[in-house]
Amino acid sequence: MTQILFKNINMKDLHTMKVYEEQGGYQALKKAFAQKPEEIVEAVKASGLRGRGGAGFPTGLKWSFLAKDVFPRYLCCNADESEPGTCKDRELMLKNPHSLIEGMILCSYACRVEIGYIYMRGEFHDLIFNMGKAIEDAYAKGYLGKNIQGTGFNLDIYTHLGAGAYICGEESALLNSLEGERGEPRMKPPFPAVEGLYAKPTVINNVETLCVIPYIVNEGAEKYASMGTEKSKGTKLVSVSGHVKKPGNYEVVLGTPIREIIYDLAGGIRDDNNLKAFIPGGSSVPMLPADQVDVLYDYESLAAAGTMLGSGAMIVIDDTVNIVESTLRLISFYMHESCGKCTPCREGTRWLYQIVEKIMQNKGQLDYIEKMEDICDNMNMKAFCPLADACVSPVVSSIKYFRSDYEAYFKNTPVGSV
Amino acid sequence: MSDNEVTLTIDGKSVTVPKGTKVVDAAREVDVDIPVFCYHEKIGALGCCRMCLVEVEKMPKLMTACTMDVMPDMVVKTTTDKVEKAQKGVLEFTLLNHPLDCPVCDKGGECPLQDNTFKYGPPDTRMEFHRANNAKATPLSPVITIDRERCIACQRCTAYSERIEQDQGLVMLNRGFYNEVGTFNNEPYNNRFSGNVIDICPVGALTNTDFRFKARTWDLTNTETLCAHCGCNCNITMGTRLNELMRIEARPNDAVDDGWICDKGRWGHQFVHSKNKIITARENSVGGGKPTSFPVFPHDCTIQDAAGKVAEAFKKIAEEHGPESVGFIGSPYTTNEENYLYQKLFRQSLGSNNIDHKSYQDTPGLPVDHYGVEQIETANVVLLIASDPTEELPVLDLRIKKAVTNCGTRLVSLNDQTIALDKYSSQSVQYRVGSEALAIDALANGLARELGEPAPAKDAGQTGISAEDMNTLVETVRSSMKICVVYNPSALSGDAVSRVKRLLKLIAKVPTMECGAIPAAPMTNAVGAMDMGLLPDFYPGGVPVTNQDEIKKQWGENAPTTKGLSALEMIARAEAGELKALLVHRSNPVIDFPGGSRVADALRKLDLLVVHDMLETETTELAHLVLPSNGPGYDEGTTTNIGGRVQARKKALETAQAPDWKIINLMLNALGDETDYQKVLDVTDEIAQKVPGYQEISRKSLGKAGCDRAPVTSVDETVAEQSAGSGKNGNLRLRVATSLFSHDKILDASSRLAHHFLPSTAHLNEKDAKKLGIRDGDTVLLSAQDVTLEATASVNNRCQSGGVVVPRASDWQGVNGLTGADGGPTWVEVRKV
Ligand SMILES: Cc1cc2nc3c(=O)[nH]c(=O)nc-3n(C[C@H](O)[C@H](O)[C@H](O)COP(=O)(O)O)c2cc1C
Ligand code: SF4
Ligand code: SF4
Ligand code: SF4
Ligand code: FES
Repeated sequence: MTQILFKNINMKDLHTMKVYEEQGGYQALKKAFAQKPEEIVEAVKASGLRGRGGAGFPTGLKWSFLAKDVFPRYLCCNADESEPGTCKDRELMLKNPHSLIEGMILCSYACRVEIGYIYMRGEFHDLIFNMGKAIEDAYAKGYLGKNIQGTGFNLDIYTHLGAGAYICGEESALLNSLEGERGEPRMKPPFPAVEGLYAKPTVINNVETLCVIPYIVNEGAEKYASMGTEKSKGTKLVSVSGHVKKPGNYEVVLGTPIREIIYDLAGGIRDDNNLKAFIPGGSSVPMLPADQVDVLYDYESLAAAGTMLGSGAMIVIDDTVNIVESTLRLISFYMHESCGKCTPCREGTRWLYQIVEKIMQNKGQLDYIEKMEDICDNMNMKAFCPLADACVSPVVSSIKYFRSDYEAYFKNTPVGSV
Repeated sequence: MSDNEVTLTIDGKSVTVPKGTKVVDAAREVDVDIPVFCYHEKIGALGCCRMCLVEVEKMPKLMTACTMDVMPDMVVKTTTDKVEKAQKGVLEFTLLNHPLDCPVCDKGGECPLQDNTFKYGPPDTRMEFHRANNAKATPLSPVITIDRERCIACQRCTAYSERIEQDQGLVMLNRGFYNEVGTFNNEPYNNRFSGNVIDICPVGALTNTDFRFKARTWDLTNTETLCAHCGCNCNITMGTRLNELMRIEARPNDAVDDGWICDKGRWGHQFVHSKNKIITARENSVGGGKPTSFPVFPHDCTIQDAAGKVAEAFKKIAEEHGPESVGFIGSPYTTNEENYLYQKLFRQSLGSNNIDHKSYQDTPGLPVDHYGVEQIETANVVLLIASDPTEELPVLDLRIKKAVTNCGTRLVSLNDQTIALDKYSSQSVQYRVGSEALAIDALANGLARELGEPAPAKDAGQTGISAEDMNTLVETVRSSMKICVVYNPSALSGDAVSRVKRLLKLIAKVPTMECGAIPAAPMTNAVGAMDMGLLPDFYPGGVPVTNQDEIKKQWGENAPTTKGLSALEMIARAEAGELKALLVHRSNPVIDFPGGSRVADALRKLDLLVVHDMLETETTELAHLVLPSNGPGYDEGTTTNIGGRVQARKKALETAQAPDWKIINLMLNALGDETDYQKVLDVTDEIAQKVPGYQEISRKSLGKAGCDRAPVTSVDETVAEQSAGSGKNGNLRLRVATSLFSHDKILDASSRLAHHFLPSTAHLNEKDAKKLGIRDGDTVLLSAQDVTLEATASVNNRCQSGGVVVPRASDWQGVNGLTGADGGPTWVEVRKV
């Protein structure tokens, strides 16, 4: 199996400078510094790398959007990893922090950035020391700081801990939070590439995205692009959780059948139960029923199946589960995490919660399902940011595929009663 | 169509608007209504409420019209099924937990939530759960109460706080469903512009504590009028019911207030129903004053009798002792019509030029353009001289902040004290208290040297400004391209104001320079009072008294053409027994004039003191005869704001009492002038005929938004050589600073704004404090003239060493009494008790 990010992830002391360097770490810098920054951007474009944080936006293209000749510019590494089910960035930062630093140096060189931030979710309060130590070592080695490797290029990296809000993983809310403002998304345009942190051009990339960059610089864009499907290049970390025998992070080449991920890599369903459903890209994407398990794991195939690859978190649900219950749990997450800025999300998430809760108390009315679908329609794509849509996903998809789970609650409920 | 315009189609109508216009505003141009809650054109886009969703061709999802800039050839649709469904959906969400207590809600009848629901909302709700309950009445400050249940979390108010008043006093707390509007640490929301959030709240969440539950909005009679508290002349709506003033709201006028008013404008109106209001003419049995031999209002005399008696008495004294023996002290707060008529009375009927309205020096007109306040937004540089807009002209403060933060304007200041706006300035240059003339000259000389104009090789005297700082300021001014100089004549001692004018002339000489100025005295109608000739040396329109031809032509053969006495000179002459009779209109010299108890003593010596005022004051107490003045709320006429804009003040309340202009008309008639003005506008029309600069002013041109007057003649002034200044007779130089919420006759103890009143405070420089053994919080005594004043010391470097700044905190504090009667810089003795 092709492994890029996880090639030697479990090697002892990989997190140390010594071992990382022995494994060829920081070699990409020399190669990069021999090129013009634009050449690196071109290489990343050619590699076909897409953002691994959720939206899958082509990384090289994003870098090329930075407002011309406006300085300072900033790099923000999105290490908020708040999407339920996702835990890949944590493993990367814990076991291989230097690959992130190296990726950030390369990105900064390519984008002419001199200050980088790693925005980590509040719960990473231990990990931040780990990351901090690695940064310190990189300074000591001259990979960070002034005049790096005698090139005249400077870079400082700082870590920052969030305060526990899912929305701060959304890039513009992240910027607000980093600036000390309220954690709410910002209006776009202006996009961060034009006016981001402190109103300056800013690159925001996910941890995993940045960790891929050293590979692309070392091995060449072509090699990276030779992996995966036509439009989904390279490999992706998948965080498999839920009812599997071996939950964990796995690196797969994009285009791998989902069946292989669940049954081979993750060892199949616990207690050899039957698969009921799976959420392929983190809690924000629509779930699929078991019969779709042969869909390929890449951006286009998942989109064709009506869902998304998202952050790459595969939540597996076996047939012991009542989908209404899981849906309520998911709604409750979004209700709790709604920042409250916009009406459909603030009110809609709570209303959906109230309705599903009532259904589960056997007090629902038959028209509740229709009403939920309509509320979802009123929320979907009408809110300020995608969080509202994320709440809609599990509701609409659970009704679509598991309507009977809902209807079971109405069995004893006469029409019109409360 | 220029490059800066965009043409698009909205509901089939083509519209061309400037680039950067939001779709929602473009729609308004073609009468397409896109409903909004959070969007406010002055605050900018937020995107919170989602009420403004529209369909845009080629865009996959609905877009918020308030956040989207127009784009060429964009096709916008606002009435499609998709849009209508979305609007219903958003309104259903908005109303989901709204209490719908419209029957008792202050906003009812003028509520965007009601209106939008009526027009775009679902017929019914599908909400089957109990609505969330929330606190119904939480005070945010003594004047604002929030009903958190009604709040739809649109964030208009918090965005206003962040973007307009710019201090984030009001913020969103908590998140999601539990977010709410509040303040950090539950501190009161006490910003001086706080009340605007009541106007902009699209529901009845932010309520005016004073107005709460007092009246239904549709029962109010709304009068479009002006605020009478300061020279901004903000446009307001007075809502009255059964002849009682219920509330004041902002009435947006971009050329004047940009849509905002300050809290003094909103809540400082208790005086209209004050117990201290003077409502009848009366005769005082003068306590301690000189008994007058003059006749005297019969018991239950009518206002006609009273006016006639006063006029005849003045005539008699003028005949006996000469016209120099009578004088008039008017007011920079009253209307142009009243001022115009009074000067006419004194000049035409009594032959006296002893006319003034202030205790500082100033002359009408400017040697450069008189900029309207909106020019601040397009100026590259705004230079403040001795001006503190935040305290003096609050809404000007908002305009300057807007210019600096949104329009790329640079703010620089030349001041003797630190001010709140320093935070926004690129350079704040501070001169020593009392050295304004030197400092202004230094700037002018610096500029003159750059321009090759004659200037002394060395600047005179000590201002405490480093040469480097002054050079930087000179350079900023010189290279500004378009500069607006904002100066406060009432904070300039001696003849410093004429030095400002010389400076303006020099600035205007810089090649390609656009230069204008705003004479920013805090008083409501300071510009108008000068334009109307309430001056000993100028007739209306800036015509000098020496311009005999012009004066005879306009004002008749008997009109006096020699300079009269200034207000301070009149007091001095009264003291000497040479001035016999004085008429004081809407002014309180006993408290407001320099000279301490000398003023009252001087007034007591008069044979006749007539005071025409609306509230009882220390001066009405000394008067022989008192005439009632109606004052704001009841009066009508025009005022001219700091930007030279003439606007109509209207009456919102009825009174049986004759208006001031009528009373003055009666006096004129009693002395033989036959003009019989039927209404105040007849006076306005006469002003248009007789006052240069006011030719265009008429009922029609005033309209709703007022009309800029043309420039008033400005004379070349000769600037005297710097005098060494009066001898030192104290240890520090005094600067009396204006404070907006001064506890006085207008904001009396019953005022809603009493929580803003400040204790008597003396701001000292650290060095001086150390020398004098004074520590922060100590009680100190300040003495000068024969006045001693107690204050709490605040050691904070508000001014340079050698000065002390005392904000005018109240009438009883008596700080003006400390200032020298000659209007020059004042020394005070400061010591610890
Ligand atoms: C509600 C919400 C939460 C998000 N949370 C995360 C997150 O935790 N981590 C992350 O990398 N991206 C997250 N994103 C995506 C970011 O907005 C952004 O697209 C991403 O950081 C860009 O990096 P990439 O291009 O490398 O993926 C979130 C987006 C939304 C709308
Ligand atoms: S959809 Fe609206 S309320 Fe929800 S998180 Fe985004 S901005 Fe906040
Ligand atoms: S208080 Fe009013 S203006 Fe403020 S958020 Fe609530 S509804 Fe909006
Ligand atoms: S700024 Fe002046 S005119 Fe405007 S509301 Fe305040 S006091 Fe009145
Ligand atoms: S008015 Fe457009 S989102 Fe509120």
